[in-house]
Amino acid sequence: MIQYSLHENGEYLDVKLAGDLDIDGTEVIEEELIPNMEKYQTVNINFEGVRFVDSTGMGLLMNMVQSLKEKGIKVTISNVQQDVMNVFEILQLPEILGEEIFI
Amino acid sequence: MYKYRPTFTQRERVIDNQQIMDNMDKTLQREINLARNIQMQLLNGKTPEFEGGEVIGSSLPARLIGGDYYDFYPLVNGKIRIVVGDVMGKGIPAAMLMILTRDAFRRVAEITDSPAETLTSMNQALYEDLRTLKSFVTLICADYDPKTGIFTYASAGHHLPLYINGRDKTIKELPKVSGIMLGGLPDQVYKEMSIQLDEQDIIFFYTDGIVEAQNKDGEQYKLERLVQTLLENHEKSVGEIERSVMDSIHQFTQGVPQKDDITMVLLKVSRQKNGY
Repeated sequence: MIQYSLHENGEYLDVKLAGDLDIDGTEVIEEELIPNMEKYQTVNINFEGVRFVDSTGMGLLMNMVQSLKEKGIKVTISNVQQDVMNVFEILQLPEILGEEIFI
Repeated sequence: MYKYRPTFTQRERVIDNQQIMDNMDKTLQREINLARNIQMQLLNGKTPEFEGGEVIGSSLPARLIGGDYYDFYPLVNGKIRIVVGDVMGKGIPAAMLMILTRDAFRRVAEITDSPAETLTSMNQALYEDLRTLKSFVTLICADYDPKTGIFTYASAGHHLPLYINGRDKTIKELPKVSGIMLGGLPDQVYKEMSIQLDEQDIIFFYTDGIVEAQNKDGEQYKLERLVQTLLENHEKSVGEIERSVMDSIHQFTQGVPQKDDITMVLLKVSRQKNGY
């Protein structure tokens, strides 16, 4: 189950995720996290505490980034663990979401 | 006191509601079973037989229904087209998208000349639907030509199959060929690579449910265990190798419930060469 904490600084929001990003996170991401993120101009999603992302989690992440970008919000993803980054790379997430968002 | 006791009609209503719930459960269960039958029959289609080699595929869903997909399509030019894929998610939603993917593959397989073209056409056909549904599919598509032994493959965000060299008994991933998952980006043109297979060579396609299978300590089966199992069993028939891999996974997980669908497809070149 994914958990999150929000750290705001004016127009900037840092979201720290922790746990496994999978189907159990659907409601948390779609109903709580995305509406919260939409209130800011710049959002960073910190993946340091995420150990595992399955295909549903990957879909949730893609949807999260794409919906924020559509609203003109600048999104970055940071501190991705190597195992998770390997999966992102097989799926070519940097190409799909934009190389610049991985910092 | 009397006024707080449920009237006969209220009690009847409670019983009726319970019956409605029971009936709904039964109806839902029946529909899930029927959906599972449809999916299993479509998935377990005919395995092609051809001179010079053998193929086999198997899929074990984590739930009643799964989102993994494999298929064989014998082309009129004698080649065998193989596809292995993983639809985002699990259960009924993934199964519905798997049917959509199968339909796209079957429609374009005969009218496209190569695995890369097949993926290009499938992405073209599925992109809008997958975006609307916020979903995606990863796929490997490959052609094997039994006459020449040439194996050509293309990937849409799926990890590469393993190549087991029958002569020097080594295993490695096929040379990298990149491509975006179906539903990832529009108007993609996929690339492909070819290798020459020799007798006793094996190509092992799989989905991540195998390497990510977990035991009670949360450890994953990982690629190393898969490679070891394949090295120990590569001289057997495709059916026996497939069973060895499945047994090895079960031995490792020790009854821990499967988290993801497990799918594998094997292609093995026979000992007798067919003119190449």
